[in-house]
Amino acid sequence: MRVEYINPFVESAYSIMKEVLNAEVKRGDLYLKKSSQPVMGVAAIVGLAGDVEGRVLFDMDEKTAIDIASAMNGEVLTEIDDLAKATITELANMITAQAVTKLHDLGFRFDLTPQAIITGQNMRVTDMNVEALIVPFELPQGKVEINVAIRERA
Amino acid sequence: MKTTSDFPSINERSPDGVKHGGGAYRVLIVDDSMFVTKQISQILSSEGFEVIGTAADGVEGVEKYKELYPNIDLVTMDITMPKMDGVTALEHIVEFDNDAKVVMVSALGKQDLVKKALLAGAKNYIVKPLDRKKVLERVVSVLG
Repeated sequence: MRVEYINPFVESAYSIMKEVLNAEVKRGDLYLKKSSQPVMGVAAIVGLAGDVEGRVLFDMDEKTAIDIASAMNGEVLTEIDDLAKATITELANMITAQAVTKLHDLGFRFDLTPQAIITGQNMRVTDMNVEALIVPFELPQGKVEINVAIRERA
Repeated sequence: MKTTSDFPSINERSPDGVKHGGGAYRVLIVDDSMFVTKQISQILSSEGFEVIGTAADGVEGVEKYKELYPNIDLVTMDITMPKMDGVTALEHIVEFDNDAKVVMVSALGKQDLVKKALLAGAKNYIVKPLDRKKVLERVVSVLG
């Protein structure tokens, strides 16, 4: 997978999370995974279809998701309820939208699928015939991994 | 003890949500995200606006507008929504009330749709992520 696909997601994730959480955000080293990977517990997913196709996962554990949703709402949430899900989805939405704008500016044309949020323990994700690039971010609330598996349409 | 008469007023500014003649501006929020609806609602309520309705898709938004008309001053309208998108809902609202004051709310990357909305009669737009200053500035400019 070409790194130019992931850079817009990294830049957008960094700036949006920094802005909405008003906190220090640290980017870890990006790594590549070809086989299946564990999903931490709460994952927002959005699909891309067009010149490039694939999916982006915003993956975090449940406590991190609750703490991020609490910070974004300015109130203490205690579980992954509808508001927490809507909040994490919106975070993914804002990051994706900004990244897509940058990709469009680079000349890539594609549409996005509506977001979904997946919750549960002991999950894994396996991408067929496309490798995933993962960028970890450290926030005061915990770790968020942006997991991008995109390829050019044959 | 009459404290009120002893204290000088340090804030003469009236809240943005209150009309010159008194009374709150009445707002309808149309957005499919519970989070965004809550965020806009909190920002506007804190400035004295009255949120008189919310809708989770374009169809419901148009229905609510017609229901509330003429006792409504402003609509915030998301662009990407199920059933009917925000630009189409805007067109229906403007067709019904040519003076409708609709502010579009959009994530980045929808410039073409925002342009389309402005041509169709939207009075302004706000790009997410939302913050208090950005929301109030745009809303006040529309009502001013």
